[in-house]
Amino acid sequence: MSTISPTAKGINSGAGSMSNSTPTMNTTTYQPVPFSKPRGPLSQVAMVVIPPLVVFALFLVLYTWVRSGLEPHRQFLMPSGSELWHNAFALPEIRYELLTRALTTIGIALTGLAVSIPIGILLAVIMFRAMILERALFPNIVAMQSIPTLAIIPLIQTALGFGMLPKVLIVAKFTLFAIPITLLLGLKSVDRGIIDLFRLQGARWHTILFKACFPSAAPSLFAGLRIAASLAVISAIVSELFFLAGRGGLGQMIINSKIDFKYEQMYAGLITATLLSVSVYIIFTWLGNRFFAGWHESGAPQT
Amino acid sequence: MTVSAGAPEPAAMEDTRPAALTFDKVSMRFPDGTQAIGEVSLTIRQGEFVSIVGPSGCGKSTLLKIASGLFPQTTGTVTVDRSHLGYTFQDATLLPWRKVLGNVELLMELRGYPKEERRRIALEQISLVGLDGFANHYPKRLSGGMRMRASLARSLSLNPTVFMFDEPFGALDEITRERLNDELLSLYMRKGFTGLFITHSISEAVYLSSKVIVMSRRPGTILNVYDIPFGFPRSPELRYDPVFTELCGEISVSLREATEGGA
Repeated sequence: MSTISPTAKGINSGAGSMSNSTPTMNTTTYQPVPFSKPRGPLSQVAMVVIPPLVVFALFLVLYTWVRSGLEPHRQFLMPSGSELWHNAFALPEIRYELLTRALTTIGIALTGLAVSIPIGILLAVIMFRAMILERALFPNIVAMQSIPTLAIIPLIQTALGFGMLPKVLIVAKFTLFAIPITLLLGLKSVDRGIIDLFRLQGARWHTILFKACFPSAAPSLFAGLRIAASLAVISAIVSELFFLAGRGGLGQMIINSKIDFKYEQMYAGLITATLLSVSVYIIFTWLGNRFFAGWHESGAPQT
Repeated sequence: MTVSAGAPEPAAMEDTRPAALTFDKVSMRFPDGTQAIGEVSLTIRQGEFVSIVGPSGCGKSTLLKIASGLFPQTTGTVTVDRSHLGYTFQDATLLPWRKVLGNVELLMELRGYPKEERRRIALEQISLVGLDGFANHYPKRLSGGMRMRASLARSLSLNPTVFMFDEPFGALDEITRERLNDELLSLYMRKGFTGLFITHSISEAVYLSSKVIVMSRRPGTILNVYDIPFGFPRSPELRYDPVFTELCGEISVSLREATEGGA
């Protein structure tokens, strides 16, 4: 538009030829730019809902395109929408099966969380209590996380059989890691001044823990819970892939559909599992926002 | 006679009020070997308001932390009644998850006051610092000055006999700061606590205090003590009084020596 400073040539001309003459000034008049009008509530909701749907629609287009490139005898690998509907979702017995199996899976996932959340919280508190305990435990927690879970499932099977317990343990092992890590970080990030404030009143350690550290760390704990919750459904399904005896959840349905060559049902199971996982994540996010909206930056309403 | 230090003592009348806080040859060395406080002896009498100014990093805040019991001293003794201690930090240190009312109730809660009494006293203090109508606001919705008022209300709830201030208004703008200075003075006159105030601002120190102490560079020792000749109550016009300006100038020179001097 205009130049306010000396030309590039003038700057690069070197120290020897620097002159004291004032650079020419070319002023420009800038017009006011109004802000765009604030959006109505309906339009705000649309701004949240529509963009992900557009991306999802693009994904469906990609799916259809890839499918059309498949040889006809391999198209069963990617069922079309109508096949999916007629051979799976439209059938009442399949819908019923999806529902009951989803309940089984969510049962395993939630029981696993009910094991891992208290243990994770306890581990974080123990590590927070003393540096030496943190040094002792932390590397072992990392090491445990590094054990490939899939590789020890056969061992768990041999040891614990095919009931509910081994699956719950697998979920617990999958979801444990995120909880002590995020909670410990939160506990350690408490404002020093707040601790001093409590100490000045002679507060005991457990008072400081419950009245200062836990509330302050709650948002980071919730971040950990969100990760754990979405992993819980995934790991429940993974655990079921290895336990085909008895009446299992969605994971078992997925494997059985493959064996029976019912790929539409397999897709139905996959879609249901995904929806389950996403809803658990959304519920935890929503809960977190509800708890912390008043005071924490992360809970501030999005604009 | 109230403050003994290496520096020449200003002529003052014998003060017979009982001591509220006595430092006897107090020094402080951190575990890493840093000598934070050289050797400090000082007596603050009941009802006095004493400010400490000094170069940054000279150990002013450390001195306050020793006085309050947050840090232990390495040598020497501290004599003080900590059962009714008021203490404000450099920032308001409100619990962000509690509303103003809950924050003001916190110390009484830790002390085991009954619930109704807590509520009653908290509302009184909130009103006293001019936060009526903000009891149910979260700290994040308050301005910096209002947060500091809430912090003051929280300390006042315990009806402190000794009130320590660790640069409480340093982060506030000039106008808010001067207003809070006046409000602090009226609280001081109303409640009659003994004040120990750390600040970077010379005029704030002179305006608030009956005595101003200048500390040396680290390791901090008392370099000079200035008796402030103005009575209470004080009005904002005092800041334009020639004697006030002259005192500020004098302390400023002393502070510059403290900062640059090869102590």
